[in-house]
Amino acid sequence: MKIKDGYLLREVAGSNIVVPIGEGEMDFSGVITLNDVGAFLWKNLENDTTEEELVEKLLKEYDIDENTAKKDVAEYMSSLKGAGFIAD
Amino acid sequence: MHKLRVADIDLLIKYKYDTMLKQAKFYESEFEKPMLTIDIPDEMLEQWHKESPHLTIDDIEYVYTGASFYEALLHFNGFMLHSSGVVKDGYAYLFSADPGTGKSTHTALWQKHFGSDDAKIINDDKPAIRLVEDKLWVYGTPWSGKTDRNINMKVPLGAIVFLERSENNWVKRIEPKEAIPLIMQQTIRPAEKDRMIMLLDMLDRVLTSVNLYRLGCNISEEAAEVSYNGIRVEE
Repeated sequence: MKIKDGYLLREVAGSNIVVPIGEGEMDFSGVITLNDVGAFLWKNLENDTTEEELVEKLLKEYDIDENTAKKDVAEYMSSLKGAGFIAD
Repeated sequence: MHKLRVADIDLLIKYKYDTMLKQAKFYESEFEKPMLTIDIPDEMLEQWHKESPHLTIDDIEYVYTGASFYEALLHFNGFMLHSSGVVKDGYAYLFSADPGTGKSTHTALWQKHFGSDDAKIINDDKPAIRLVEDKLWVYGTPWSGKTDRNINMKVPLGAIVFLERSENNWVKRIEPKEAIPLIMQQTIRPAEKDRMIMLLDMLDRVLTSVNLYRLGCNISEEAAEVSYNGIRVEE
């Protein structure tokens, strides 16, 4: 799974924002703000990956326990999928 | 082809209808080599005219020459903010909002309250902002929406203010985070990735350099006073 094409993540004035680009999914024309963990996971989702890999990367990057990492990744993936940002 | 200097850009541009002839008059210039050329073929104007028959060909030329200029502006470290810009005490204050909210009405109140010599409308609808020699400047341009209120001048950017209608007049300072979606709604969003990156990096600079506000205002003269006192740059 990975983030669909047509979105750009960039830091603007200290915020991690995602905006749509290209002619593709123009049903969404707003701006999404991600927290640091969200932006970290988003970056890793720009290339094909799995939930297990995301949990591993999160554990390496942040000082959190495995259960929290699993829960965070699961919740994040569920909201990204729900919003239609993920391609299988 | 006409030679203009707009936002410190030597611009070679084709137009022939009344609105552009009138709006561009104060931007005429002389130069050897253009920095930017805008040459929209007649067939394209006619095509757009077919798609928007409620507009005149004159309007179409005005709108699309402007759109071409503002798209190119990104490549000169600049962007357009849909706003009415008023100059006072040597700074430009940009009031941004959706059409019909009352941007022009508000800056007209500044003119009424402070006098039109002390409060000048640099551009009533689409001022250009550019980063030149590490400083942010606001420029008047020939493209000022429905009115001809624009002045060929450059002034340091004082503040960006997101305006909304309100019964009472109030000003609230906001953080860049809150301003990002507001400013994105009031500029041209490029479709291409590299150009979107240019815009976002420009906005990063703007949002971290100048004060940002929300203004709630009515149409009394007091609105101008409250707004000026709340947003003016302290020397």
